[in-house]
Amino acid sequence: MSKVVEISPTTRHEGHSKLVLKVNDAGIIETGNWCSITPVRGVEKLAVGKTPEQVPKIASRVCGICPIAHNLAATEAMEASIKCEIPKDALMLRHILQLANRLHSIALHDILILPDLYLPGTETKINPFTAEEPVRTVAKRIQRLREIGQTIGQIAGGDCIHPRNTRIGGMYRNCSPLAKTKMYDLAKEGLVLAHAQMDLMIAILRNYQAREHVDVGGMKVALPKTLGYHNQGYLATHAFYGSSSLDECPSWDINRFKEVRPWDWYMGEMDVTLEEPRYPIGGTTKLGTKVNPQMEACTGIPMYDGQPVEVGPRARLAVYKGYDEKGTVGQNIAREMEYTDSLYEMIDCIDALNTDGKVVADYIPDGDGTLGWASNEAPRGTDVHLARVKDWKVQYFSMLVPTTWNFATCSAALTGAPWQLAEVIMRGYDPCVSCATHMIVLDEDNKVVAQKLIQ
Amino acid sequence: MLHSEIVIVGCGNPLFGDDGFGPAVIEEMEKLTLPDNVTIQDGGAGAPHFIFNFLNPEVTKKLIVVDIADFNGKPGSISRISGKDLKPGAYIDPHSWDGIDQLCRIRDQIDTTVVLCQPSKVLKKGDADVDMELSEDVKNAIPKAIQVILETIGVDYGTTINLQEEGRQPGTAKICGSPESS
Repeated sequence: MSKVVEISPTTRHEGHSKLVLKVNDAGIIETGNWCSITPVRGVEKLAVGKTPEQVPKIASRVCGICPIAHNLAATEAMEASIKCEIPKDALMLRHILQLANRLHSIALHDILILPDLYLPGTETKINPFTAEEPVRTVAKRIQRLREIGQTIGQIAGGDCIHPRNTRIGGMYRNCSPLAKTKMYDLAKEGLVLAHAQMDLMIAILRNYQAREHVDVGGMKVALPKTLGYHNQGYLATHAFYGSSSLDECPSWDINRFKEVRPWDWYMGEMDVTLEEPRYPIGGTTKLGTKVNPQMEACTGIPMYDGQPVEVGPRARLAVYKGYDEKGTVGQNIAREMEYTDSLYEMIDCIDALNTDGKVVADYIPDGDGTLGWASNEAPRGTDVHLARVKDWKVQYFSMLVPTTWNFATCSAALTGAPWQLAEVIMRGYDPCVSCATHMIVLDEDNKVVAQKLIQ
Repeated sequence: MLHSEIVIVGCGNPLFGDDGFGPAVIEEMEKLTLPDNVTIQDGGAGAPHFIFNFLNPEVTKKLIVVDIADFNGKPGSISRISGKDLKPGAYIDPHSWDGIDQLCRIRDQIDTTVVLCQPSKVLKKGDADVDMELSEDVKNAIPKAIQVILETIGVDYGTTINLQEEGRQPGTAKICGSPESS
């Protein structure tokens, strides 16, 4: 007979989410629901009536982890609506900024997943904050990689958190030749470190994958070879950067997208019937607690071609580079492979940057109300922003962020895994839940029927 | 990171009403000509993991953090406390790393001061809407906060009173915990 267990809140990611799992007598997940419980933010409503310059600044504030991706996607959605093409050197600066953000984010994710993994050849799980070797050296390398990413982002974007150099029509300023050299030096240093870090992480992940059992809170849990497998498709709009409705061949099609209500997708009200006090940190939810993922979930379920899809590093590698490893380990390895990819691409972009080139478009139209969209391949996946600008005022703005895509896909990937490993599967998506939380409900004709706020 | 000897960081999210005080102070300070050894940064919602854990004590000697806090003062009151008086927070995970915890880790190596403003309205997680406006009391406290920051870093900028908008009542912002208020 099925039992219900709830892990709330989930840890080692940004924002608030929980896992509600229906498991069989052997503790294997039959149905898993991973849902955001971060309250809804009305950013999209706030954007209406603002100028296109203001909205990317607002959008970048929805999250403290990936403000750069939101800033770039929102800026480019405005440009797509007003049909403004930006100069090549401005685009190069944006590419560098975005790749720097990705470098930082991959390194941060290493810190998040290391406590799930073992030091190869030992039964010791890795504490990235220990002062003992060899972990200390690895932690310092991770920190240096993050620092390199943030410093390059600061040079290209003007600020390391909320970039101020981006503007509608391009960038405010180009770099000086000295700043270009500095970025180049940093990228070269980062490349050496990234190679070493990628190799180490892949070795640690392969070691984990080869284990028969893993320890979770003192429980010996059998590790399935199909951990995190799912049969949903992949969505990526570019190997590195993104796409927009201005492109000659856009790689995202708004007509193939639809967002449905969580109450059609998630499980209804249930009582918790399995409690495990040993589960880290502080045990699972107490027996008898009522759970209702349908009503507690704070996001819609986005579909592409009628199905939830996976976005993120594996999706990018699968769509553009033929990568085919399924499961949680395959997903984490894909992220590690993006370490060096992002630095090689960054070096190419720095090479291509002409510091004497112009970075602002000659003509920036006021907009005629056309719907424009832009996608940015954020570290966690495809971040699509949609905008309608008329007479230099934003009439409509919507954000379709990476983790929203992944909620339903990850839920599908939970099936068949021991419930104690559900968080390991979830962390493979490097979730960033805060910005994923919004709700727009479309009917069968793709008309907005509700923008519901669940209290 | 491109930090200097003195780093001033404004923390908070402008989407949550008075929580945007820190970034608003930084925006105002950008209008000042500050010495070359001073970096000012809008930390937004990401200062703990994007700034605090990248500070190098060999480069940065003084850190000023600007934020809001409920210290039972009158809305718009400014309070200045030393980093040494902060109580250690809890480490949860790097994505939601408590800023106080990180400040406690660096305060022995970097002279840390926290400049706080008593908010009048803060949107909390769970509120359905967002609001980008600072309340009047908190907006009026910006010049006072800048005065306190400049005093802390030893910059005599004359007066920052002229930063106040015309028509604003002087003296609406009071400082707590300084000789002036005692």
